[in-house]
Amino acid sequence: MSEGPAPPPEGQDGLRVEEGLTHDELNRLFADPPGLWGQLTGVQNDKLGKRLMLTGFFFLLLGGSFDSLLMRLQLAIPENDLLSPQMYNELFTNHGTVVMFLVILPIIEGFAIMTLPLLLGTRELPFPRLGAFSYWAVLFGGLLYYSSTLFRLVPDGGWFAYTPLSGPEYSPDLALDFWVLGLGVAEVGAIAAAIEIIIGILKMRAPGMTLSRLPIFAWSLLVFAFMIMFAFTPLIIGSLLLELDRGFGMQFFNPELGGSSLLWQHLFWIFGHPEVYIQFIPAAGVVSMIVPVFTRHRIVGYTWLVSALVAIGFLSFGLWAHHMFAVGLPPLVLSFFAAASMLIAIPAGVQFVGWLATIWAGRPVFATPFLFVIGFLIIFVIGGITGVMVAAVPFDLQAHDSFFIVGHMHYVLIGGVAFPIFAGVYYWFPKFTGKLLDERLGRWNFWLLFIGVNVTFFPMHIAGLKGMPRRIYTYTEDTGWGIYNLISTIGVFIIAPGIAVFVWNVVRSLRRGEPAGNNPWNADTLEWAVSSPPAEHGWTVLPIVRSRHPMWDQDDLHSGDERLERFVRALAQWPLRWRAGLIVSTADARPQEVFRVAGPSIWPLVAACGLVLTFIAELVKQRWLIAVGVLVLVTAVIRWNRPEDPPMTKEEEDAFEREHNVAVNAGGSVVVATWAMGLLILFVGIAFSSLLLSYFYLRLENPAWPPPGIADPDLTWAIVAATLVVASGFGAFAARRRVRAGDQTGFIAALGATLVLAGAGAAVQFRDALQFEFGGTHHAYGSIFYTLTGFILVAAVAGLIMLGMALYYAVRGQYGVRRHATVANIARYWTATVVVWVVGFGTLYVGPRLV
Amino acid sequence: MADGSLDPQGPAAESMADLWWLMLSLGVAVFVIFAVVLAVGLFRRRPPEASEPGAEGPRRFHAWMIGAGVAGPLVIIAIVFGATVHAMRGIETTAPPGALVIDVVGHQWWWEVRYPEEGITAANEIHIPVGRPVALRLTSADVIHSFWVPALGGKLDMLPDHTNILVLEADEPGEHVSRCAEYCGLQHTLMTMVVVAEGEEQFASWVAARRQPAPEPADDTARRGRDVFIGTGGCASCHAVRGTTATGIVGPDLTHLASRSTLGAASIPNTPANRAEWVSDPHDLKRGVAMPAAELSPEDLAAVVAYLGSLR
Repeated sequence: MSEGPAPPPEGQDGLRVEEGLTHDELNRLFADPPGLWGQLTGVQNDKLGKRLMLTGFFFLLLGGSFDSLLMRLQLAIPENDLLSPQMYNELFTNHGTVVMFLVILPIIEGFAIMTLPLLLGTRELPFPRLGAFSYWAVLFGGLLYYSSTLFRLVPDGGWFAYTPLSGPEYSPDLALDFWVLGLGVAEVGAIAAAIEIIIGILKMRAPGMTLSRLPIFAWSLLVFAFMIMFAFTPLIIGSLLLELDRGFGMQFFNPELGGSSLLWQHLFWIFGHPEVYIQFIPAAGVVSMIVPVFTRHRIVGYTWLVSALVAIGFLSFGLWAHHMFAVGLPPLVLSFFAAASMLIAIPAGVQFVGWLATIWAGRPVFATPFLFVIGFLIIFVIGGITGVMVAAVPFDLQAHDSFFIVGHMHYVLIGGVAFPIFAGVYYWFPKFTGKLLDERLGRWNFWLLFIGVNVTFFPMHIAGLKGMPRRIYTYTEDTGWGIYNLISTIGVFIIAPGIAVFVWNVVRSLRRGEPAGNNPWNADTLEWAVSSPPAEHGWTVLPIVRSRHPMWDQDDLHSGDERLERFVRALAQWPLRWRAGLIVSTADARPQEVFRVAGPSIWPLVAACGLVLTFIAELVKQRWLIAVGVLVLVTAVIRWNRPEDPPMTKEEEDAFEREHNVAVNAGGSVVVATWAMGLLILFVGIAFSSLLLSYFYLRLENPAWPPPGIADPDLTWAIVAATLVVASGFGAFAARRRVRAGDQTGFIAALGATLVLAGAGAAVQFRDALQFEFGGTHHAYGSIFYTLTGFILVAAVAGLIMLGMALYYAVRGQYGVRRHATVANIARYWTATVVVWVVGFGTLYVGPRLV
Repeated sequence: MADGSLDPQGPAAESMADLWWLMLSLGVAVFVIFAVVLAVGLFRRRPPEASEPGAEGPRRFHAWMIGAGVAGPLVIIAIVFGATVHAMRGIETTAPPGALVIDVVGHQWWWEVRYPEEGITAANEIHIPVGRPVALRLTSADVIHSFWVPALGGKLDMLPDHTNILVLEADEPGEHVSRCAEYCGLQHTLMTMVVVAEGEEQFASWVAARRQPAPEPADDTARRGRDVFIGTGGCASCHAVRGTTATGIVGPDLTHLASRSTLGAASIPNTPANRAEWVSDPHDLKRGVAMPAAELSPEDLAAVVAYLGSLR
């Protein structure tokens, strides 16, 4: 790797000496405490990222890999009886579930949490504690799911868990509850990490790293994280409805009592289709990082590639019904989803042209990361071509749920996701361990996988075209499928040693790998400027970015605008008592705020315990324990967010602020809190929309709504409640204006009035919901009525708690003209709740009267 | 019985296969172009060493983007979408005039079959006349199943709360297999059915035979078998045999069981030995099946098997 530009000389800017002085202090400041306590309270992003990745890999080894081996052995010859039907069904359920929920996602989120601060030129992510919570939730959720094995209650409903098969009537034991609840915990963890990633990318970057200089991998993670919010939230709602059917006797999916067998499929695929792109998009981002480095050529068409990623993100939410072409949708709907599905070929084509053009123009260096990228290009293009084929409805009616799809989907996921992950591991391993992976073993690793994957999955297309359905545990000889299955099974025995070589390479290189140096690949992005492995804080002096490829284009990373230079130098030496993070403006990355990044805390772990306790309580049907779990969760979340006294005086903050004209908030960030509140509101909005969609879907499926024997709901008290709540919304608005105007009395009065009005509205509505003669279990109408009511009331109670806390702190004089961000955020949340309230109860009470 | 979607035996499957061959040729063309560009890009000779990494966006690459990235895929998907819409026109969603109507109800894990016009009830075996459209009205009694005979056409789901109509037509006489194509629980694998396409005359005689009630047992063993079937054996609580007092509706109608070629939703051949084993221990042949093992004395078992063999 001696070709290309020389790396920028280090220490040229004369900062070396000072850096040495503060480097150790900062390193200590950002490190987790030592020992077991440090493991439990730790928030350091490199460590969390590594843990997430290892956990994902662990779950893969625990189930995702052995089960595929067993399934292939079972199918190798016709009428094999190696596995029982039950065992086979459990294996394919586990394989899909583990890979889709517990392997790829944690690995990518781990990648993101680990690399982003270095890649973006910042010391930490905005919510280290949220990151820790996310890790614990993924771990506990996965373990809860896997613990079903200990009780011999292994889920067997497929990774898609279609109703009514997954409902209480046809899956009466607890196996499916392990599936719903275990994954539920992990899904919450995934959303938590997504919030961390979104705000991290948008707000915590090196000065000068404008959006147009953002590495494509960061762009892809941004799209990825937004997609998680929009896709996992409907899944959580779908899972909630399924568990309400299973655990509480509701009727969402029971066709005999107003439920719908297809509602689940819609909610599941609104998640499930984007889920595929959620995995692919970061992988494409990795490819866009590696191609330029190993071709010594800047990526061609940066803007095109970024637009393509964003376009795929949007489009992927309009495709879900292509998993449902065979359920009997009207032809017009089929054509729409067929066209939308095919359109994905355009942004995908743009991506390919970008990579191919870069390779064409550059000078390829065939190191292992690049080999995996080439493998990705070849395998994924085949998966993309078959993908367009299955978007063609009439052909899909043949291919759907046949082995053709199994072949297609593994080309997409192994080619499109696993290969880039391998490429990424070979690429970044040296950065985070200081050791290079062995190139010779790397080539073995690549060729075994590349050949093995094609031998395994190509024949599946043919078996499918010859009529072999998915999810069958055996077949007879006269079907003629034997030979294709045998070849597939042989392929697995080429893949397995490929994985073994990889594991051996990692283990071997950790012990006696070649030292990597800072920038072994001569790469262009920021993470290659720091030492390998990086210090706990990553950056002593934050870099100043002046190019999309700073390591190639900048002579040094610490010069630029004179004021910026002074600012980043100052930030290297001040404050050394608390963890300072830098917030920049979203588009042009100008320093906006220096804030205190949260440090180690036990509360994220406690919160995750509360979350998993809540779900276990539902699993074992001990409802009182749910209350305990929720209490632990809420307490822990409040504790980890409790405002801490700033570790320095106001005067000190002001002095730095005056000198550099950048706000200092040692108590906690204003900007980040506002963004987090925005994302929380987004989450509530998506969840609420999913419930509304369910409401209208059920309504359209039912000829009579409400069902015969149930009167339209009486409006009187609902109107009273809504009036009170709307009035409280104005109260919150007034409170915000008063505090801004410096009117403490008016502020406290308005806040108090808001709380009283809101509480009264919620109480009136709660009382009204109790008086209906219909229950939640008699008909899907009642089920959705009470569930939607419950959702809105829970959202409102969360708002009431916030308002109550705000009032408590207001009376103690915490807020003033300058510091009232919390009040503004709570007012925003409450405004959103008022909207949800009016739309939600409007639908429930007025809806049945329309038409 | 080896018949896949690329061996079409009817107009619906044919148009689907045509679409496949069109898309395959386009797909191969795309792959070849891609592979050539990649290979040349990787291995082409390059001018001597440049010290600087290549510039980001030489102008000519914008033309690549617009041409190969946007316009190329757009043309291909326009062709594929046109062919898709064209093929979709051939997929009927209502029964065409003159069609034979058959109701098929999915059960875990067998198929209930009714010919409403002809007044026939059968199970796990469908006969259809060649050259005449057949409208299958598909529903389910429990979970979601899917009806799929690749040689005749695409699949369509069988839902508990909707009736889907699948219109098929067979060009040639032949025997096909329908396999459930939606995972429906433990024995999803063994939920299969024989679909026999035959000439109008054979079909008419099959219908005529199927309309008859079950024949009177001809010998004492069979008569004893019938009594056990209806009485102490308990078979009649789930199964119906027309012409007797057995009218159960939980399991398949057995009126003409002996005329079917298979047992257990087309999972094993319908031989006397298999019938005996099925009655005495169905779980050994098909684990998880709803039918309990009949606790019969050896004589009663032999008699029931003989009776079942007489139901032609």
